Order: sequence, then C-alpha cells, then structure tokens
Amino acid sequence: MKKILVLLAIGVLLAGCQKSGDTAKGGAGAEKVLTHDELVSAAKEEGRVVVYSITSRISSASEAFEKLYGIKVEYSNLKDGELIEKVTKEVGGRIDGADFVISQDSGRVYGQLIATNYLVNYVPESLKSVIPAQYQDPLIFQLINKVFIFNSEKTDQPVIKNVWEVTEPKWKGLVQFKDPNTEGVNMNFLTMLTSPEWSGKLEKAYENLYGKKLVLTTKNAGYEWIKAFFGNGLVLGNSDTTISENIGVKGQPATTMGLFVYSKTRFDAGKNLALTAMTELEPFSGFMYPAFLHLTANARHPNAAKLFIEYLMTAEGFAPWAKDVGAYSPNPSVKINDGDHPVSFWETRLVPEDPQFIFENRADVEEFVNNIAYKK
Amino acid sequence: MTIGRQLRAFSRKPHNVILAVLAVLLVFLTLFPLISLIRDTVLVHPSEVMSVRGAKIGDITNFHWRKIFLDGETSLNIFYRPFWNTIMTSLWSCVVSLLLGGSVAWLITRSDLKWKSFISTTFILPYIMPSWTLAMAWRNFFRNRLIGGAQGLFTAITGIETANWFAYGVFPIIVVQGLHYAPFAYILIGGILRNMDANLEEAAVILKTSRIKIFCRITLPIVMPAVLSTFLLVFSSCMSAFAVPAFLGMPVRFQVLTTQLYRTLNGLNPGYGYIMALVMIVIGTGILMFQQWFVGKRRSFTTVTGKSSNISLVHLKNLRLPISIILLVLVAVVAILPLISFTIESFIMAPGDYSLKNFTLQFWAGAGREDIGGGEPGILRNQFIYLGLWNSIRLSVVVAVISGTVGALAGYAIVRRRGSKLSAFVNNLAFFPYLMPSMAFGAVYLSMFARPVLFIPALYGSFALLVLVGSVKYLPFASRSGMNAMLQLSNEIEEAALIVGIPWWKRMLRIIFPIQKASFLSGYLLPFISCMRELSLFVLLIVPSTRILTTMLFQYNEKGWNQYANAINLMIILIVLLFNGVINKLTGASIDKGIGG
Repeated sequence: MKKILVLLAIGVLLAGCQKSGDTAKGGAGAEKVLTHDELVSAAKEEGRVVVYSITSRISSASEAFEKLYGIKVEYSNLKDGELIEKVTKEVGGRIDGADFVISQDSGRVYGQLIATNYLVNYVPESLKSVIPAQYQDPLIFQLINKVFIFNSEKTDQPVIKNVWEVTEPKWKGLVQFKDPNTEGVNMNFLTMLTSPEWSGKLEKAYENLYGKKLVLTTKNAGYEWIKAFFGNGLVLGNSDTTISENIGVKGQPATTMGLFVYSKTRFDAGKNLALTAMTELEPFSGFMYPAFLHLTANARHPNAAKLFIEYLMTAEGFAPWAKDVGAYSPNPSVKINDGDHPVSFWETRLVPEDPQFIFENRADVEEFVNNIAYKK
Repeated sequence: MTIGRQLRAFSRKPHNVILAVLAVLLVFLTLFPLISLIRDTVLVHPSEVMSVRGAKIGDITNFHWRKIFLDGETSLNIFYRPFWNTIMTSLWSCVVSLLLGGSVAWLITRSDLKWKSFISTTFILPYIMPSWTLAMAWRNFFRNRLIGGAQGLFTAITGIETANWFAYGVFPIIVVQGLHYAPFAYILIGGILRNMDANLEEAAVILKTSRIKIFCRITLPIVMPAVLSTFLLVFSSCMSAFAVPAFLGMPVRFQVLTTQLYRTLNGLNPGYGYIMALVMIVIGTGILMFQQWFVGKRRSFTTVTGKSSNISLVHLKNLRLPISIILLVLVAVVAILPLISFTIESFIMAPGDYSLKNFTLQFWAGAGREDIGGGEPGILRNQFIYLGLWNSIRLSVVVAVISGTVGALAGYAIVRRRGSKLSAFVNNLAFFPYLMPSMAFGAVYLSMFARPVLFIPALYGSFALLVLVGSVKYLPFASRSGMNAMLQLSNEIEEAALIVGIPWWKRMLRIIFPIQKASFLSGYLLPFISCMRELSLFVLLIVPSTRILTTMLFQYNEKGWNQYANAINLMIILIVLLFNGVINKLTGASIDKGIGG
C-alpha cells in the first residue's frame, strides 16, 4: 500500500506534460475551510448532490444520507471504465455531471483524471487526524479484494496450494475470472504479475511446485502464467455476482473455482451457495485494489458532496459496506467484519496495485491478453 | 428568367422548400458527425495516454490505423477476425430472415393458410420486442454449466447438457438474429404483396399460367425491390447489432465488430472503435449505392393505382394443415415461450433451480435485501424503475412524433422531385443514419454535443440530446415508409386536387395522408417501438436523470442480477405490445400492417 504514495509523483509529472491543464478550475478544493455545521448548512442550501460510484451499495448509503440531512442524492452505479469516460467527457466539456465520484482502476484514474486535474482530492477536516496518511492522497474510500474461491460443497479443504495448479489439465474449463476487458482492475492485476517482483515470485512458485525451472516462451514468468491461465479453458464472465453463483451453486459434477470479489462469499447463506476462499496460495491468493473518493473539478454542489464524502468515511456512512466481509475502510474506527481478516492479513497474501507500473505497462499486457484470449 | 424569379418559382413548390430545409439540417446532423468521426480516428483520446507512448491528449497520430490494419497478430485479433465474423453472421441472418419472413408473407397474402390473423400478429412479436429478447430467452433455456454455471430450463427439464456451439456463438447468433428480423422481411415483402396490383397475377391466371411461373415471373420481380431493401436493412441491422452478440458471443469470446467497438470505446482505445465504426459505415454505404443502382434501373414501382385488387388464393390442399400447424408452433415458440421464460426467471431465487419452493416475489415486490442485488428493492417498488419507465415513454413519443413527421414530409418531397439531384441527396442523407452503427452514432453525438456547437448549447446530459439522436437515427424508418407510401401513390391523385386548386396542406391532410394512412402511421410506429427498445444508441448518452428502461436492464444484466433484468425485459415487452395494440385499435395502423400496408 506504500506504493500508493508513489502515485502522487506520477500525477504531478503527468500534469506537467499536460498542455491544457486549464480545464479544471480547482474550484471545489480551494475554498476556505468550513466547520462541520457551516458545511451542513451550506450543503442543505445546495439541496442536492450527484454521485457516480463503482459500488452498487451507494444506493443504501444514499438513502441513509438523504434521511439524515434531507439532501437529495442522485446516484448512479457505473463500471470503472465507464465512470472514467463519463467524468472525462463531463469535466473536460465543462458539463454538469457528478459532484463527486467513487472510482477504481488506479492506473487510469491517475493518468486520465488526477493528472488532468479533473478530480480534486478532499479530505474532511475532521478525519485528517484519524485516517492514516498513506490513505489520504488520494483519499481511499475502501480496499477491495478478489480471492481464489472454490465450490466447497464436497470439501472444505483448499483444492489447490499453488496458483500454477490452475494451469493444469485437471482444472481445464473449471476456473472462472471476470473478463479483464470489462473491468480495469482485473487487467491491472494481470499487469502487476508481469512486474519484476511478481514475475520473480511466480517463477519461484513454479520451481517449488514442479521441482524444475520454468521454460519461458514469453517475456517473463508473469506473462507465462497469464498465457497458461487463459490457455486452460478459462471461463470469462462479465459480472462477479454471476461468477460467484456459477461457482457456488450446489450439485455440480466437478469442483469449480474462480478468482472474484471476496465479498460475494456473503451470498453463501441467502442464496444457498457453497463458497470458500483460499488464503494460503503460493505466491498469491488473489489481488487487492483501492477505490478512491474525489470531488470533481466542476462540482455544482461541492458542499453537499463534501458532506457526503465525510459521511461515507465514518462508520455510519460505511455501514452498507461494513456489514459484509471483503470491504475495508481506511478509517480505523470502522470495525472489520466477524470472520474477516484485517488488511494487514491480506497485504501479505494479495497482489497490490502499483499505479505507475500499471500506467506504463498495461497497454502491453492488454494487447497480450487480447491476443491469447480472443483467438477465435 | 432571373435568379430571383427562379428562386421564387422554386420556393412556391412546398416539396422544394422541404428538400432545401432538410438538406441543410441533415448535413449538420449526419455529415458533420461523420467528419468528427473521421477526425476521431487520428486523435489521441484521453484514455489512450497509456497506450500511445509519449503522446499528449489531442495529438494527431496514425497509431490506431497502424494497429488496426497493419500489426500482424494484433490486427488479426482486433479487427480482421471480428470483421469476418460480422460479415458472416449478418449474411446468414439475412438468409434466415428473408427465407422465413418471405415465405410467411407469401403464405399469408397468397395462400389459404389457416389462422392467418393469429399467425400474422404473433409472427411480428419478436420484431416488436427488443433484439436481445430472443438472445436472453435462448440463454435462459440453453445455457450450460460449462460456461453459464447454472443450468438452463432446457437442461433442467430434459437432463440434456447443451453443447457449447449450440448454446453460444455463431449458431445461436444467426438463428436469433434471423428470427428477430424475419418479421421485418415479412412486413416489407408482405406489404408489397398485399398492395400490388393483383390484375397482373389475375391476368396470368386467366391465361392459365402455372402458379410457379406466376411466382417467378410476376410476383418475385415485383417484390424484388422489397426483398433487396429488406436485405439491405437487415444486413445493416445485423452488422450494427450489439446486444445479441454480446449476450451470446461473449461467453465463448466470439467477437464481432460491435462488441469490439463497445470494448474499445469503453476501454483504453476508442480510436480503434472509431475506425471500426467507419469501416461499418463504408460497407453500409456501399450496399446502399448498390441498391440505388439496382432500383435506378427500373424507374418506378407504382403498385397502388386506386384500382381494386382481389386475388384468388393458392390452395395448399394436403399441405394446408401441416404448414398451418408448423407455423403455429413456430410463432408460439418464438413469440410466446420467451415471455414465459422471462416470467419464470424473474420469480426464481437461486438460478438453475426450477423447483416450486425456489420461487419468490422478491424481485418484483420485495423490499431491498442486502444479500441480493445490493439491496435493490423489487422492480415494482423501485422509484428508479418508474423514472426510467417515464423517461422511456416520453422519449419514444417525442422521437416518434418528430421523426415520423419529418420522415413523412421527406418521403413526400423526395418522391415528388424524384430524379433531381437535390432529391437524391436528401434521400441519401435521410437514410445515412441507418448505416451508422448505433453505438458509434451515440459516441459521435456525445463527442460532438459535449460542448457548444454553433448556436446549440452543450447538450450532454440533457433529454434533448437523446431526442435529437433518436430522431435522426430513426428518420430512415419514417422516410422510407413515407417514400414507399408515396411511390405507390399514383401522381394523378394529387394532380387532380392541384387542378381544382386545393392548397398544399389540405392535399396532404385530406388526400395523401388518408389514402396511405397506415403506411404513414407506421412511420410513426416504427421509430416509437425502435426507440422503446433501443439500447446501444443511448447507452453512452444516459445520465442518471435521463436513464431509460433499456439501459437499466443492461446494467442489471451486466451485474448478473438476472432476475431483475428478466423482470424489466418483460415490462418493456408488455409496454411495447400494449402501445402497438392501442394504436392498432385507435388508428388501424400496426407494425404488421407495415410499410405500404
């Protein structure tokens, strides 16, 4: 997570290259600091706030916020790439749109929205001393993890120990993953695997499993794993919910598994699914990525947006996310769900996002993935 | 004559004025976007700073063109394979829909088929329903565990696991698109068959010509223009169809140009997408030119002359019952079974489990439950559904009124000045939006109207933008049906009124419109229904306050909230059917009376 700090550096760098840095007036961020009460009354005067969000639970949060302050919320739940495109068009074209956004896909958010000053970072005064510094610029709303999860109807014991096993014939056609083209964070994960650090770890994991050196047909062990992963009849879905149902549904002839959002294990009881996560895989059990909270540069209702941001960062506002596993607020006062692990547990087991590496290498990985995944 | 007098003489004729105004408007609304599209193929877009190394947003680059056409394996995967897939699926879909639609049209209008009115009404349903209806139904029935995880209804009932090639990819796409557009072929061909001067056929019958010969030498040549324009319209539709290949192709990674377009426009390389859109437009334009050349060879195909027509029907004899039953089963399967599957799917809790205890009202009338669909309440209790519903209906009505009226006037003016350059120019422009893939059209309007253009303020996020894009996009439907109506109308009728000195507006309202009422009204109905079930055109332009039912359905579907999606789909279908039914009752016009009916 320390790596997130590096991001600011690129941000500034990119902003420097940007010939037309004039689009953003930086309006929202530059005003004088209001007290909480002043903020509330200013927000009420605006009466309304528009938010775009990559998480669907914004609906429950909006309802609660509306009840609490009587400020009308217009929310929409968008896919990460869609959100980035919309904000680019709206702020770039100086058109009224969202007042604040919950975004993900760090490489793109940094390159396309932060470097261009389309998004403005805002940390509520009351939370500056509460939230750890490394989560403040940009302000992280939550950390989300995607983990290898298998159908545990027949056994509770992890069905694999090493990620190279999913490339074996035994698992052909039985593994599901979200189409990395429909959600950027999945492509980011694949990109991270090609970094020196993670390709090195993958190479070692291969040797540990098979007792021999990995023979490369591509640039490095990361690319090699991706190729073998996709080459083994990987099933690409376009929604984590569907994947979780596909994997978890009972009565399947063969045990299946997938790499998808950990929070979907909450469906276990309600939908009668059998889902168990594997947390001790070598060299990683999945990946983790941040969702960011930002004001837009041309927010029409900046105060209401600020108030909502503050609210979302409190335990009360985070409640819709907090009741399940797999969503982690940077605010230490938001308790981790029963039966879940803290971020520190996941940090050592999951692949994080390094926005700079992603920004520089994702295009290559995307082309590589498309060439092996769409050979039809 | 001086120029001034020439001008005055020119403007004294209403159809000249209409043509001149349309020419200016359509240049702005169709050619301008095209130029903007071309420009977009060589620009570095904001999302491309990752892939075009060292470039700044707005730089000019040949990167996209190089990658699409000249980059070996990459080009093959990004462009050439999807391109081939598009051509292939579109052609085969055309074949399916023309054969099926044409035969049904012939059977209904020329044979003693049983249950005609039921078959005729029901056969149209798939076309009135959204294009993904059949695709969604196909998936509901035939999805397999291999890819869908949960089994479909078919497997649940029969225990037979469907093969991948059957459940997903080329085969179902062709079948589904063919079935979806078959009614369209039926409408166009059936309309001509119904209206054509039966005297020709009667004369042949009197001369004891064989039925087959009559069909080949008289009927077929007369319907040929309709067959050709059906082919053209269906091919273009299939080429720009997005939802069907997305629903049925994605699971097996079968790509066509539109799914690539969506991927690239929403992903890191919109430049690729704009080039693909351009390629589609070029192909579409090529087909249009071919059709014009073909129709141009035969100056006119006047079919309505004011003479009575009453043709004796072909007796199917022994085949009458079997054919009638086959058709009945077919229309039932295609039109009614999907509705049943949506109903069932919207009531079941866990996917793939069709036992009674798994049925629930949750997705219709339930309060939000956190473990399901992120706490979204059932659709009857969901305020956003009502907002979307209201927007959908409002949008469709406004678009239908605008494009229907403009289209009728355009059809009138184009036909009255047939043969002139101006008329051909307006005709082509009015048809041009049809050749633009919906999604690209939406994208282009987005980039064009995201900032003020000339005297028009920035329209992004406004309802007006949706109206504008919809009206222009569906103008071809209306102008085509207007033209068809006018082409069938012998000139003498209006000339007679002209001689008596009846003013233009009165001639339109009292003579021309009433005679071809159903035809003109279908010029309103088609845009209305198309708009009601349009997804890809609007999906890029929607903001929360303007959301419509179809974009909501797609969102739910993408999130895997299958039950909500099925419920909304059912709702859209019922509304469309209801409107079609009401309009039919009130005015006698209906989609199945169709163009020229």
